Amino acid sequence: MNYSYTPQSGAVKFTMILSGAVFALMMVLGLLMRAAQGEWLDIEPELFYQILTAHGAGMVGTAGLSGAAVMWYFLGRHIPLTKAVFWIFLSLFIAGVVFILGSIFVGGFAGGWTFLFPLPAMSGGLWEVGAAVSFMLGYTLIGVGFLIYYIEVGRQIIKRFGGLANALGWQLILGRKTDDIPPPAIVAAAAVVIFNSIAIVLGAAVLVVSIVNLLAPEFEVDALLAKNLIYFFGHVFINASIYMAVVAVYEIIPEYTGRPWKTTRIFAIAWNVVLIFVMAIYWHHLLQDTVLPAWMLITGQLVSYFSGIPLLAVTAFSLCVYIRGSNMKWDLTSALLVISIAGWSVGSIPASIDGMIAVNKVMHNTQWVPGHFHTYLLLGEVAMSFGFMAWLVRGKNIRTLSGLDKAAFITYVFGAVGFILVFLISGAASVPRRWAVHLPEWILQDRVGTIFAALVVLGTLGFVVRYVLGLIFENQASGDQISGDQNSGDMSSGGQPSLGQKA
Amino acid sequence: MTTRLIFPLLAALMGGGFLWQATDGLRAITAEEARRISVAENPRSVPETYLQAMDGAAIPLLPQKNETVLVEFIYTSCGDICQVAAFDFSEIRDQLALENADVRMISISFDPEQDTPEQLSYYGEAHNADGTLWTVARPVSLSEDQTLSDLLELFGVTVIANEWGGFEHNTAIHLIDENGQFSRVFDTDDVDQVVATVLESS
Amino acid sequence: MMFRYGVAAVFMASAFALSPFVVSDPVLHVLVQIPLLLLSGGLVASRITISKDIAYVYLIIALVTLIYWMLPRSIDAALSSTWYDVAKFVSLPLLVGAPLALSWKHIHPVLRGFLKANAISMLGILAFLYIHAPIRICNSYLVTDQQNLGYGFFFVAIALSLYWSWPLIFGAPTQRPPQRTRSQHLSYEGTSSMSSHPAVD
Ligand code: HEM
Repeated sequence: MNYSYTPQSGAVKFTMILSGAVFALMMVLGLLMRAAQGEWLDIEPELFYQILTAHGAGMVGTAGLSGAAVMWYFLGRHIPLTKAVFWIFLSLFIAGVVFILGSIFVGGFAGGWTFLFPLPAMSGGLWEVGAAVSFMLGYTLIGVGFLIYYIEVGRQIIKRFGGLANALGWQLILGRKTDDIPPPAIVAAAAVVIFNSIAIVLGAAVLVVSIVNLLAPEFEVDALLAKNLIYFFGHVFINASIYMAVVAVYEIIPEYTGRPWKTTRIFAIAWNVVLIFVMAIYWHHLLQDTVLPAWMLITGQLVSYFSGIPLLAVTAFSLCVYIRGSNMKWDLTSALLVISIAGWSVGSIPASIDGMIAVNKVMHNTQWVPGHFHTYLLLGEVAMSFGFMAWLVRGKNIRTLSGLDKAAFITYVFGAVGFILVFLISGAASVPRRWAVHLPEWILQDRVGTIFAALVVLGTLGFVVRYVLGLIFENQASGDQISGDQNSGDMSSGGQPSLGQKA
Repeated sequence: MTTRLIFPLLAALMGGGFLWQATDGLRAITAEEARRISVAENPRSVPETYLQAMDGAAIPLLPQKNETVLVEFIYTSCGDICQVAAFDFSEIRDQLALENADVRMISISFDPEQDTPEQLSYYGEAHNADGTLWTVARPVSLSEDQTLSDLLELFGVTVIANEWGGFEHNTAIHLIDENGQFSRVFDTDDVDQVVATVLESS
Repeated sequence: MMFRYGVAAVFMASAFALSPFVVSDPVLHVLVQIPLLLLSGGLVASRITISKDIAYVYLIIALVTLIYWMLPRSIDAALSSTWYDVAKFVSLPLLVGAPLALSWKHIHPVLRGFLKANAISMLGILAFLYIHAPIRICNSYLVTDQQNLGYGFFFVAIALSLYWSWPLIFGAPTQRPPQRTRSQHLSYEGTSSMSSHPAVD
C-alpha cells in the first residue's frame, strides 16, 4: 500500500465511507417508495412524500459530496490543497444534512428536493414554516461548503496555471505553443469550478429570497424567476457531480491501459463547450412554460440535445481507443469505471428525447424522467464513486474480478438496468412521476421495478461492505494504515502549501 | 492564540447582539414593521384633537366613553391604495355594525387643502361611509402648537409627494383604545383581526 | 499619499453635497452616497498596516456595521433623523471602509473569495426583492424609485462579478512553477503505485 503520496487520503476515505453509507440508506428509501407504489408496502402518502423529498435531496447531495471527494483526491496530485478547507466543507455538509433531515422527519417537510416556489410555503397544514426554513437553511449551508471548496480549488489552480483560461486549455485550443498543458483533471476542475460556483451563488440567492418570503410573506417572490433560478441551480449542481466524479476515470484508467490520459485539443474544446452548455440545459424544463419567449424554448431544445454530447463523445471515444489498443485488465474498479461512462452516455439519450418539445409536453411529468436521471446517476456518477472506492482499497496489484466482486458487480448492473428500464417503460406508458398511490394497471410494473431495485441495493451493500472491510484489512496489514495515511496526508498537505506559496 | 480567537468571537457576539437590538429581535427590518412593534409595546397617548367631518361638524379624534376608534390616513384623489383600503374599511364597518360594536371609524385626509368637506363627502359617498359608524374627516381646527405633521408623526405615517401630484404613504389601520392610547396597527386587509380586536375590547 | 487623502476628501465632500438629493432618490443614496463614504474611509486607511491578530475583529466590525446600513429601516432613519444621518456619515467611513481596508490583506484568501461571492449573491437577493416587492420597503421612497434601486443592485452585481472574475479567468501571465515544485510533482508520480503510469507530460 503506497498511496501516502496523495494528499489527504484520510479525509477522502472517510468521506467515501459516509457517501457509501448514505447512498445505501437512500436506496433503501427508494426501494420503500417503489414497494409502496407496487402496494407491497402500506405507506401513507404523507410519509411517501417525506421519503421522496429525503431521497431526492439526500441522493443529489451525496452525489455532489462523493464527486467532490473524488476530484479533491486527484487534484491533490497536481496542486496543493489546504486540508482544513476540506474539513470545513465536510462539516458544513453534515450540518446541512442535519437541518434537512430534521426538517423532513421532525418537521414533516415534504415539498420535494427542488423546493419549488411556492410549494414550501403552502403545506396545507402538513408542515410549519419553520420546517421549510430549516430545509432551505440546510441547503444554504451545503452550498456555502461547496463554494468554499471551489474557491480553494480555483485559487490553487490559478496559482499554478496562471488563470482559469490556461487551465481550461485555451492555449491548446488557440494553437499557441506551450509545454505546460494542464492535465485532464485540471481541465475538468477548472470548468466545474466556474459553472458550479455560478450555480451556487445564484442558488444561494434564491434560497435566501425564499427564506425571506417564508418569514415575511409580504415580500412576494417573482415565481417565474424563482423557478428559473431553482432549476438552473438544481441542474447545474447535479451535472457537476458527474463532471467531478469523471476525474476518477481520467486518473485511474491509465493504470489499466498503461497509457496516460492526455489533454488533447478536442478534449479541451469539449470541456469548454460543456462549460457553456451545462448552464443552459435546464431550459428544457421550462418547455411547459409557454409564457417564456419562443427563442428561449427553441434554444432550450437544441441545447438539451447537444449539451453533454461533445464531452461524452470525446470521453467515451478516447476510452474505447485506450481500451482497444491495450491489454486492459479487468477488476471491480475498471469494470465500474467503464460501465459508468457507458451509463452516462446512454442516460443522455432519454434526456434528449425528452428535450424535444413535442415529447416534452407528454413525457415530462411521467416516470420517463426518473428513468433518465437514474440512468446517468446509478450507472454513471454512483458507479464512478463505487469504482473509486474499489480503487482506494485495491492495493498495489490489479487482481482479476474475483467471484464475490463479480457477483456484486453483476447484481448491481443487472438490477440497475432492469430498474431503469421499468421506469422508462412506465414513462412511455404515461405513468406519472411523483404519485404515491398508483392505479391498479401500473402495479405489475411497479413490482417488477421493486425486485430490480432490491438487486441494486444488494449490489451496493456488497460494494460498501467490501470497501469498509478493505480499509480495515489495509489497516491491519500495514499497521494502522488509516492513521498512517492521515499522518502522511498531514505531511504532504502541511508541506505543499508552503511550496505553493513559494511558487 | 487567545487574541486571535477570543477577540473576534467577542466582536461577533457583540455585533450579533447589536443587530438583534437594531432589528427588534429580528422582527423588524423595515421602518413600517418597527413602527408596529413600537406601538404595540409602548402605546402612545393621543392628545385631544378635533377634526372637521365631511358634514362640516367638528368631531373628537379621541374615543368617547367606552368606545374604540379606528383611524386610517388617506387623500381623496388617491387612485389606488386608498381605494382598496377604503373597500377593506367598509367591510370592517359592515361586520362591526352587525355586532353592534361600540366603535367609530375615521378616514383622515392628510391633504386638508384639497380635501374640502365637499371632496370628503364625495369620497364618503363613493365608499358608503354614511357618517354613522364611519366618517371621513380632515384636520383643520388643529391648534397652533399642534400641526398636521405632529399628528402624522404621532401615528408614524410618512407622506411623500409622487410625480403625478399625488402622494405615497404607508397605509394601515390604527387603533385608539378606550383609554385614548394608540396601541395597535393592522394591515388594511387584515379584516378579521381588526374586527376580533375591536369586539374583544368592547 | 497626499493624493489619496485628497481623493478621500473629495469623496467625502461629494457625499455631503449629495445630501439634499438623496432625500428623494434611493439610487443616489444607496448606490452613490454610501459607496463614496465607504471609499473615502478605505482610501485613508489603505496604506496603514495593522497587526494580523486584530484583523478579524476589524472585519467583523465592518461587516456588522455594513449589515446595519443594509436594513431598510436604517436608511429610513437616516432620512428622518439628523442623528442617524450623522451616524451614517461617521460610521460608514470609520467603521466599514477603513477597517475593511485595514484587515483585507490579512484575511485568508478563501474567506476573501467567499466574501466577494457573498456580496454578489446579496446584491442579487436585494435586486430580486426590491424589483418585485409589492410593499414599500422604505417609507421615505416611492415604489417606482424602489424598483429602480432594485435594478441598480442588479447592475452592480453584474459589474462586480465581471470585475472580480476577469483576473481569475485570464489571470497573470502563466507562471511556470519554479523547478522545485515541478520536481516534487514528478517525484509524486515516481513514488506512486502506478509505475505503469508515465509522467503526465
Ligand atoms: C436502488 C436505487 C434507487 C431506487 C430504488 C430509487 C427509487 C426512486 C423512486 C421510486 C423515485 C420516485 C419516482 C417517482 O417519481 O414516481 C425516485 C426519485 C428520485 N431519485 Fe431515486 N432511486 C434509487 C437511486 C437513486 C440514486 C442513486 C439517485 C441519485 C444519485 C436518485 C435520485 C433520485 C431523485 C433526484 C429523484 C426525484 C425525486 C423527486 O421527484 O422529487 N435515486 N427514486
